Amino acid sequence: MLTVKDLKVKIDNKEILKGLNLEIKPGEVHAIMGPNGSGKSTLSNVLSGKKGYTVTGEVKYFNENLLDLEIEERAHKGIFLAFQYPLEIPGVNTNIFLKTSLNAIKKAKGEKVLDAIEFLKLVKQKAAELKFDEKILSRQLNVGFSGGEKKKNEILQMSILNPKLSILDETDSGLDIDALKVVSEGVNALRSKDNSFLIITHYQRLLNYIKPDFVHVLINGQIVKSGGSELALELESKGYETLS
Amino acid sequence: MIEQLKIDFNKIEENSKFSEDNIKFRKKNLQHFVEKGFPNKRIEDWKFSDLNQIISSNISNLSFFNDKEFKDSEQIYLIDKFEHNKIIFINGVISKIDIKHEDGKKIIINNDLDFIGNSNEINPLVSLNNALANTYTCVTVKENYSLNKPLIIYNITTEELQSTALNLRIDIKLERNSNLKLVTIFDDNSQQNFININQNFDIAQDAILKSYKIDHKANSNIKYFYNNINLAKNSISENFIFSTGSKFIKNEVNCNLNGQYSSAFINGVINLNNSQHHEIKTNINHLAENTKSYQLIKTVLNDKSKGVYQGKIYVDAKAQKTNGYQLSKALLLNKDTEFDGKPELEIYADDVKCSHGSTSGHLDEDSIFYLMSRGLSHQQSKELLINGFLMDAVEKITDLEIKDLIKDIMGIKE
Repeated sequence: MLTVKDLKVKIDNKEILKGLNLEIKPGEVHAIMGPNGSGKSTLSNVLSGKKGYTVTGEVKYFNENLLDLEIEERAHKGIFLAFQYPLEIPGVNTNIFLKTSLNAIKKAKGEKVLDAIEFLKLVKQKAAELKFDEKILSRQLNVGFSGGEKKKNEILQMSILNPKLSILDETDSGLDIDALKVVSEGVNALRSKDNSFLIITHYQRLLNYIKPDFVHVLINGQIVKSGGSELALELESKGYETLS
Repeated sequence: MIEQLKIDFNKIEENSKFSEDNIKFRKKNLQHFVEKGFPNKRIEDWKFSDLNQIISSNISNLSFFNDKEFKDSEQIYLIDKFEHNKIIFINGVISKIDIKHEDGKKIIINNDLDFIGNSNEINPLVSLNNALANTYTCVTVKENYSLNKPLIIYNITTEELQSTALNLRIDIKLERNSNLKLVTIFDDNSQQNFININQNFDIAQDAILKSYKIDHKANSNIKYFYNNINLAKNSISENFIFSTGSKFIKNEVNCNLNGQYSSAFINGVINLNNSQHHEIKTNINHLAENTKSYQLIKTVLNDKSKGVYQGKIYVDAKAQKTNGYQLSKALLLNKDTEFDGKPELEIYADDVKCSHGSTSGHLDEDSIFYLMSRGLSHQQSKELLINGFLMDAVEKITDLEIKDLIKDIMGIKE
């Protein structure tokens, strides 16, 4: 599904990613762990198309050159980034945003767009699954949401848009145990033989709930070690220092 | 120009049946305007909008005599979203008054008064209006009466009107405990005219006025609106200005909170492109205890357009417990745009709560990235953010029908 080869990324001549390699197959869950400043968020931003980076190397997504695609084309083709810090968009109603987003993706895929009633039904069902108070959806997008609500809103968007590759950028940070469980259930519900996940996190905690197939350790712009889910436990007890 | 003005004034005088006193009043006002002329940027209140220069570079051979015939066409733009009362002006002349939804004894519309008012020696454009106004319309809502439907004043101009100065005066009187929803809407099919409208609102005790002004059709007219609002005890004036259509507009609002517990709300949207130039200027005078004012102005500027907001809050020494607030936010979408903001607070009482804020900036790239990562195009994301930015002010409109009308005009669908 996703093949990253020798990915190098610079911001203002500062090299952040220094030759990263990664392969994700359909249905797999990969976790990337690493200390602050190791390049985790840069990786998720580059995969979803954020501007402002100088990028070299190759990223193939279903045999397409991902780096040639615009931000919204990547979304149309099934890439989803759950933001570490979801943005507050004043004056934009959450429901309207969700509908615009879903229908933009459906339209790009040549599928039938949902009318207001069909959409509301879908949202109600997904919100209930995530124990998300529907009333929040009539508020302005992320404005005045608590940290937990913002993260849950990201997962709600993810489950409505049903992406092929979901990138979760520190979705667990700032969540209490209950919210963490809800978010994890949302992710697990989307797991299938076709859907893949790239989970970026500092802590092993989230991985108790979402069991990864592979764990990679990202330090100083490179993956220094890869392994199974047991690697996360090892990191939790020993820390990153022994690896750097 | 002054020569033309004098010739045209004599023509107006000959063609009318004004009383002797009225002619005296008009002449006095004409004299005042002749002395001052159109305001230019050397005058502090006009330093961001040099009207003299704007008129001379946009209108050639301005005529002050308006005899433009209009075809009473069937293509008149009327709002069909909700039932309403109407006053229709075409090229500055009343073509229709329709208040069929109301008790005719409770709302009185006069348009044949031989008007004699107080001369305003300060504002030459009000003097010009007093001197030349060809109609004077007065709407009175009687004590304890609330209109069943909104009143819409249509200001329609046709293509026959060109290089002409149009002067209208409309007075709105709300008697005690009465209630009026007023929409003033402009439908310009003309180009290169100077339209000068003087509106006076007299709001008695416990009365509520909601006044919404909509200028949205692209045109090359130059407009000046002078609104004077007087509020008695416990009365409310809610105003919304939607300013997007004309080449130039200066919307000046002078609001006197004369009675205790009176409140005034002035919210607005300026959304411009090309070389449009719009200004909102407010003077809020807190003259009694426990009065409240609130202003929120949102401006979006594209291409080479220019936006101006000058907001002044004056608090008299006897106006203790005043609560005054103003906020202006501008979004500049292009490096060739200009926004000028001038907030002023002048406070002589010691127990007051007053605040102001003014920001201007660009669209947030991270927000665009967020929206695009959800499948929206760059254009869609921009539109969503701009509309979201403006919605803040639109949401202040308390009348739902009119709020929906304005959302429709903005192209916001829910």
